[in-house]
Amino acid sequence: MEAILEIKELSKAFGGLEALLNFDMEVRQGDLIGMIGPNGAGKTTVFNLITGFIKPDSGDVWLKGEKTTYLKPFQIVNRGMSRTFQLVDLFKEMTVLENVMVPCFSHRAKQRRHNGKKPWKVAIEFLEEIGLADRFNELAKNLPFGELRLLDIARAMATEPDILLLDEPFSGLDVEDAAVLSQAIQRMHKKGQTMIIIEHRLGDLLKLVESVVVIVFGQKIAEGTPEEIMNNEKVVNAYLGQRRQ
Amino acid sequence: MKPEGLFGPRVLYRRLLGLSIFSAVVLLVPVVFSDPYDLELLFLCHYYVMLACSWDLLTGFTGNVSFGHAFFVGGAGFAGALLNLHLGWGPWLTLPIGGLIAALCGLVVGSFTLRLRGPYFAAVTFCFATLLYKLIMIRYEIFGGEEGLSGIDWLMETSLGNYYFSGILMLAAILFLYLLSKSSFGLILRSIGENEVASEGSGINTTFYKIVAFMISGFIAGVAGAMYGHAQMHVGPEMAHDSLSGLVIIMAVVGGMGSIIGPIIGAYLLTLANESLRFMGEFRLLIYSSAVVAIILFAPKGLLDIITRGFRRIVGQEK
Repeated sequence: MEAILEIKELSKAFGGLEALLNFDMEVRQGDLIGMIGPNGAGKTTVFNLITGFIKPDSGDVWLKGEKTTYLKPFQIVNRGMSRTFQLVDLFKEMTVLENVMVPCFSHRAKQRRHNGKKPWKVAIEFLEEIGLADRFNELAKNLPFGELRLLDIARAMATEPDILLLDEPFSGLDVEDAAVLSQAIQRMHKKGQTMIIIEHRLGDLLKLVESVVVIVFGQKIAEGTPEEIMNNEKVVNAYLGQRRQ
Repeated sequence: MKPEGLFGPRVLYRRLLGLSIFSAVVLLVPVVFSDPYDLELLFLCHYYVMLACSWDLLTGFTGNVSFGHAFFVGGAGFAGALLNLHLGWGPWLTLPIGGLIAALCGLVVGSFTLRLRGPYFAAVTFCFATLLYKLIMIRYEIFGGEEGLSGIDWLMETSLGNYYFSGILMLAAILFLYLLSKSSFGLILRSIGENEVASEGSGINTTFYKIVAFMISGFIAGVAGAMYGHAQMHVGPEMAHDSLSGLVIIMAVVGGMGSIIGPIIGAYLLTLANESLRFMGEFRLLIYSSAVVAIILFAPKGLLDIITRGFRRIVGQEK
């Protein structure tokens, strides 16, 4: 199957610090990929680069055969790649429904709206999918953290992306909320949603994903199935830590 | 409550009911207050309502505080006056053309301030108005310097005519801005004001929306500026002065930003208060300023918020 996202030799330095160096990656339709690595390894930098929030020093990003390297974030969203943020970034003084309605007015969502459905009805459907429909009239600032994460995902999903990027979605969630989120991700994946997930909580992540990319000091050091990664000596030494003898 | 309860024609009718009552009051006021002085004062209210509401669309929604509204008012006022004096064009032409010129000014300011936030945005918008003010003073052979330009055609022959002309224009502007604020355009502007990064990350071309907001805001302020010039039969540098921008901001803040309705309250209250306190002589400014400070301190969300909460308490929706 042809890759829908191709990242070729992407590099970015901040001053003297090489945040990412010659990073390559391919994503195919329906993939559910995990991205792991220590703090400051460059995982969020990958997301920021491929979604247009920062510009690379070199390298290219191709989305469904189109070069998107220097496009603006909203243009990339409208070409089919959307993301959530590590620090949940929402419209706090707006209601839950309004938060999800905003992306319904993006160029892509408007084009894809079937049968001329009203934006609020589309937004309610996304909220139902993520389990927040009964909170539609609540101000986003009043939601507990776990529901904020879910709302951020619903907001990103409302742009109807081909690829959804989730940046540490389990961070700060308790066991119950993490289970709700896992189920939501599994449901979306079953419907064919392509996703890349950055996560530190390996227990939650490895149960979900089919393949894992490991980044350390801005470089990809391994890629494979969760089992392969857990047994990869380089990964164990650089990130997971030495096994006890 | 179900989501359906937030949308549909019934919600629209409910929203427009208040505006309809206000419109009826505006149209019937001359039955009670027919003195030319009162009508001129109410004309001023209409003028300031148009300025404060148009400023609110730009700042109350996108969150970028503009200190340059006088740039639109003065630009359109002088453009209208020059067209009238040199080409003989009447108000029916100079008002829309003045508005279009101000909208173009909005396009220019909007383009210059795209990437600016907070104090940087405020400083650049302030500078645009100051530049125009200085230009008027320096090129006195064109703009009349400190004395401005006189001899402009009147708007209407009587104070009553001016009142109705400005009143209808104001009501049209309020209706347009209010419906716009409740549309997808208003929702997107609010999202930009809340969190521009998330808005762009939701696939919204924030640059486009901000520039359009600037242009609409400029257009309405420009029409008001050109109207004011004709009504006074004179335009002066004070129309481009930063004190006008400041006054418009205060009116919107006192009334309640981000609502379109709040600035109406602020503009009426402050214009009428300023006049009705004249009997206090030199204490007028002291009392007026103290009252403004007190309102901002005790009602930081504006008078509209207090009125709305009071009304909800009366009908039992809030404790």
